[in-house]
Amino acid sequence: MVRRPLEGRAAVVSYTTLDVRRDGHVGWLVFDRPGRGNAMDATMLAELEAAWRQLDADEAVRVIVNTGNGPAFQTGLDVGQLARDPDALREQSRRTKRAELKLTAWHNQVWKPVIAAVNGVCAGGGLHFVADADVVLASSDATFLDPHVSIGQVAAYEAIALVRKSPMEAITRMALTGRHERITAERARRLGILSEVTEPGRLRDRAQELAAVIARNSPAAMAATKRALWGALEVGLSEGCRRGGRELVALWGHPDQSEGPAAWAERREPRWATTST
Amino acid sequence: MGDYQHLIVERQGPVGWLINDRPDQLNAMNARMRDEFADAWTELDADPGVRVIVHTGSGRAFQTGVDVSEIAGDGVGMERYRQSVEDFDLHFTSWHQQVWKPVITAVNGICAGGGFHWVADADIVICASDAQFFDPHVSIGQVVSIEAIGLMRKMPVEAVMRMAFVGRHERMSAARALELGMVSEVVDPPEALRERAQALGETIARNSPAAMAATKRALWGALEMGLTDACRAGAAELVSLWGHPDQAEGPAAYAEKREPRWQAP
Repeated sequence: MVRRPLEGRAAVVSYTTLDVRRDGHVGWLVFDRPGRGNAMDATMLAELEAAWRQLDADEAVRVIVNTGNGPAFQTGLDVGQLARDPDALREQSRRTKRAELKLTAWHNQVWKPVIAAVNGVCAGGGLHFVADADVVLASSDATFLDPHVSIGQVAAYEAIALVRKSPMEAITRMALTGRHERITAERARRLGILSEVTEPGRLRDRAQELAAVIARNSPAAMAATKRALWGALEVGLSEGCRRGGRELVALWGHPDQSEGPAAWAERREPRWATTST
Repeated sequence: MGDYQHLIVERQGPVGWLINDRPDQLNAMNARMRDEFADAWTELDADPGVRVIVHTGSGRAFQTGVDVSEIAGDGVGMERYRQSVEDFDLHFTSWHQQVWKPVITAVNGICAGGGFHWVADADIVICASDAQFFDPHVSIGQVVSIEAIGLMRKMPVEAVMRMAFVGRHERMSAARALELGMVSEVVDPPEALRERAQALGETIARNSPAAMAATKRALWGALEMGLTDACRAGAAELVSLWGHPDQAEGPAAYAEKREPRWQAP
């Protein structure tokens, strides 16, 4: 696949632990510490926040794909590295304590569609990126496990979000069996934790393809939809519908609402407004 | 405690067993059994030797809910339970009793009506390949409520509503329960269920009891509130373990390639 480097931002950050690119309307955020299972060290923690913000701000990017280089997708915090960087550890501890993590799109309030493409093992804190994605694909050799309790740690954030999004028993089982059991990609698909399993060599092509399909839809409508649906996880059903109704109405009068039907009638691709609301 | 007529409470290694034992009544719960559940959960929870609890049944049923013949026969009927239900002051599942040890429900046959309380309230559910699930409440003029509400928060809702409304006229198979994620494992042959539950219990017992208790509180808390608030509450559970001896023992044991020696809960 040919990928163009990300362009158009004044301060294009240069990343050392992430590979951030754009291919058409699709932004790619790729974990790039393959020698360490893509575990998050202090640099990656900082770069993740910057990368989500950059991709969110880039108007050319309509959909974001998140995957990893090497055999692993993401294996959580690099505790060894953080132990040698007291400032970074202190900052991460503070954010954990105050529920102010900035690891994922959800943490960073990115309202563009995010596809997680799980290319291999996804362990512990790696589950954040599955839990907080809108769409999840996996390579057939991907596996999922949560070893926290096997090393005396508590599983919380990642599993909490997964409990709200997928059948709970599978998540409590994963959290309590720790490193002694894994969920396969196929089982995860059946459970609805993810929607599609590909041949290992096909994952990135398929993610790009699906992202390009999603990018054909109205960015403004997708952003409001995403806010409405994630908002539904915050409140009871009736209140979720009330809030969702406000998102719906907020788009009335937006140019995309006349452009969409017009393009459909004229059998052409819609030309969506560039700024999302 | 310890004087049970309708339950068997046992220990096997780190695994505590709670077995429904009214096989001739398909393990239906009469008033005495209901009280015994409260004691049995408390006893196993308090026992430091027990790290994981398995709940199953004797005979061809797992559990079939309230003992209808008792209700029908003594003139008191469901009224005896009015206060506890109105106050939602129930004590017959591990969740009601706030047991924070991992609980595995092993469904050994028929699970009907009120039997779903122990499916809804367990952390892990496995079943025998001949297990069957159905909810006959509305077929005998009763309301489905608490156990289905719990299930709806844990699995696809359509399946729960369908069971609630078809009542006794349709049964869900073990295979379908697996597809839906209501259970995570189907054991075949059915006779191997207890052996498998014991093995799974022993596997889980290798993890830090303190970390598992905090994890369990964090995850069940996620059903009580919005996502962001649940993450905040989960963060408090997570942070509460910082400095606990298990947090140093876990990585040390991993580095030394040995089993961790967890602090007794």
